[in-house]
Amino acid sequence: MNVAHGNPGITGDIRTADIPAVRMQGITKNFGANRALNNVDFSVCRGEIHALLGENGAGKSTLMHVLTGLTAPDAGTIEINGYTARITSPAISRRLGIAMVHQHFALAPALTVAENLALDIPCPPSSGISKCLNYSPLREAGSALSCAADLGWKMDPHARVSSLSVGEQQRIEIVKALATDADVLIFDEPTAVLIGDEISELFEVLRKLADRGKAIVLIAHKLSEILAVSSRVTVLRRGERIAEAHTQHVTAVELASWMVGDAAEVASRPFSADLENSSQCPPPELICDADNITVLGNRGETAIHGLQLQAKAGEIFGIGGVDGNGQTELAEALVGLRKVSAGSLTINAKRTGYIPQDRRRAGLAVSMSVSDNLLFDAALLQEYKRGPFLKVRSLLELSADLIDKFDIRTSSAKAPASALSGGNQQKIVVARALLGDPDFLVAVNPTRGLDIGAARFVHEQLIAARARGAAVVVISTDLDELAAISDHTSILAGGTLLPYTAGKTRSSELGLLLGGVAGKRESSDAN
Amino acid sequence: MQTEARTRRPVPAPVRIIALAAAYSAGLIVLLAVTFAMLRIPVPMALKQLWVGAVGSADEGHLYAISSTLVEMAPLMLAALSVCIAWRAGLFSIGAQGQILMGALAATATARIASAAPIPAPLITFMMLVTGVAAGAAWGALAGLMRVKRGVQEVISTIMLNYTALHIVSWLVLGPLRARGAYRTESDSLPDGILFARLIPSAWSDHIQTSLHAGVLLALFVCPLVYIYMFRTSAGFQLRVLGANDEAARTAHYPADRLKISAMALSGGVAALGGVIQLLGSATGSLSAASFSGNTGFTAIPAALLGGLHPAGAFVTSLFFAGLTQGCRNLEQNTGVSSVVIYVVQAAAVLAVVGIRAFRQRSETEAS
Repeated sequence: MNVAHGNPGITGDIRTADIPAVRMQGITKNFGANRALNNVDFSVCRGEIHALLGENGAGKSTLMHVLTGLTAPDAGTIEINGYTARITSPAISRRLGIAMVHQHFALAPALTVAENLALDIPCPPSSGISKCLNYSPLREAGSALSCAADLGWKMDPHARVSSLSVGEQQRIEIVKALATDADVLIFDEPTAVLIGDEISELFEVLRKLADRGKAIVLIAHKLSEILAVSSRVTVLRRGERIAEAHTQHVTAVELASWMVGDAAEVASRPFSADLENSSQCPPPELICDADNITVLGNRGETAIHGLQLQAKAGEIFGIGGVDGNGQTELAEALVGLRKVSAGSLTINAKRTGYIPQDRRRAGLAVSMSVSDNLLFDAALLQEYKRGPFLKVRSLLELSADLIDKFDIRTSSAKAPASALSGGNQQKIVVARALLGDPDFLVAVNPTRGLDIGAARFVHEQLIAARARGAAVVVISTDLDELAAISDHTSILAGGTLLPYTAGKTRSSELGLLLGGVAGKRESSDAN
Repeated sequence: MQTEARTRRPVPAPVRIIALAAAYSAGLIVLLAVTFAMLRIPVPMALKQLWVGAVGSADEGHLYAISSTLVEMAPLMLAALSVCIAWRAGLFSIGAQGQILMGALAATATARIASAAPIPAPLITFMMLVTGVAAGAAWGALAGLMRVKRGVQEVISTIMLNYTALHIVSWLVLGPLRARGAYRTESDSLPDGILFARLIPSAWSDHIQTSLHAGVLLALFVCPLVYIYMFRTSAGFQLRVLGANDEAARTAHYPADRLKISAMALSGGVAALGGVIQLLGSATGSLSAASFSGNTGFTAIPAALLGGLHPAGAFVTSLFFAGLTQGCRNLEQNTGVSSVVIYVVQAAAVLAVVGIRAFRQRSETEAS
């Protein structure tokens, strides 16, 4: 471990001039035999943005769940503004001025912005029946909406949440947290769902909030973002606090090595070189040929229109763009889950692998065991069947192999998939998609919400599939990811592909291409 | 630590489920004892009456009571298995009662038609089983079809189909299927050759005719078959994935619509088998709306739920419920304590189990 000072991981002098808004000491939490947190210290002061960094399953979320009263710690103390607090429920945490902006939004899509904001505002018990009969969400949401105006956000209180972009939905969550007069704001991987400008806008808001004296905890994976926005950083690894440092004193390489425990593994973009070397393949065979296809969305709207796409064997075709421009529909059409209503789509593949966008909704049955989840596809293969019966033993061997090979961290193959961290859940989905060496692979946001180690692993798997001669289509909102692994790139905007060559243009300029899309989006929001 | 956890052998599912079902059943007895105490019914006496009703006593012998309990169990267990299949597929079917009726009805109609021709009795029995199961499967598939094609909630359609089945039976036993030359509103009595054979020679039980019949064995044989289907076949695996997350099943290219319809059909067939077995195991084999208006199909739902929607669990809980029913009859006959008390406690126990489930799910997700 390359830590500058003798004391492992504590670099520099952490000034504690004023009393921290939150000080957690010696927090320990076990889940069964699994030690999620081991004697972890953490503090955050007013006016600072404190980043909490770690791989999936490192204990970041658990630590914050302790602070927000969702999880009771086995040992340790919490001080809020210098006073010892016993946080036994989310309500207490909220009363103490702690609010969390979750990665998965807790919004009612069918309700309007104002209604969603009003939902979160407690009705005083003294309010009489006349108020109940005369309930106005708009009035209740008034203070929350003024918080939004303070931050310079224009929010249409009457817009339905389902009609808003992910970034706008996140703003509602932020406003909800602010409206409770919280002093401590916890952001759980807020950038995971954002792209391009939305991220820098969010960071500006974070800085603004810190300047106003809020204490901000930022749970994050992406090192560049942490370096850009935070003032202090704490690194967790497998439930241990590995390091705490002022951000200005550390480099990305240091952070990454603390996080994964091996500096050598963390070269930032290791793939471009491999790509150049391995491109002398036999003449590429056309695996997927989409000619002028039109695909309808769930409500019968045209999601994909007149799209041309050719994916060749031994190539990774990257498709970027903002969520909601037909990504899901295109992916489902390519893997045969959705009908193509016009044009022709030829798939010349014996086996197609699919990494769906939303693992919890479409990828996993979280109440079933890890082993069962790994076998969704195997259960259909002749190889694992004898007549209608499953070859249970070879299936169990297969799932044990996959757990090993993909380093899925679970207490047992029989544990429910819901007990796994997001990254390990994603590994299940990836393992399944790659089963039986597919010659056509469609991956949508394959590394969303994954830490460096896991994301790198997924990329390696995609590259390996490509090297094996598979045609790989990666649809992702992470433009850097696409630039790093793709042979060809395109932008999916408004249901069609815009030609674009990655590598020649910097990702900031790619953003300009997206700008046209973003402009359209804003104008439609104004209505 | 991880490899250690991985190599630790987990308790096999059937053992765990049976233990769970047994624990729930034991809890139910505690609940009953408390309820008796609250109602100022002497607890030891009441529990003893229940016990004697379910398994008999040394003075009266055990064979009679135990056979009655097993006969009571057979259709209940099949209905509970039917609930397991449907609910595991994510289909909240309430239709076991209607499927039982349709099974018994089709079997009766078959018997009526076949007895006109010179067909040997065992073959008629077999034909009754086949047509009964087919009718139940069709009745179940109907709800599945409506779900898939028209989005009709199976909860509603199966409840409605229960009433439909009941009234079809009432009408047929009043009209076309009414016993010839009889005034009763029931179908013909069946000859002994067609009915299931009694298994225990009356010499063993002081010459009292015990009711244990071959159909109970048939039911017990189906229980492991359902287990094999659910946990050892590809179709059963797909069915469970579908029930756990139908979007994931669709994404894995499972034929979701076909699976739903076939799960409903299978569920209907198994419940209907219970109906045919009940018919062929009865003393006369005649069908009437009254004799089949019990609530086996509804009791099956708590039985299946308490059994963890697992065939082994369904076996344990339906055996327990059947014993409880027999015990209640005994209690009511000998002491006048209404059997309603028992049903109230049963319902309370189900609510408690649902509560425990919710609590356990919460603590599981907390760990993530």
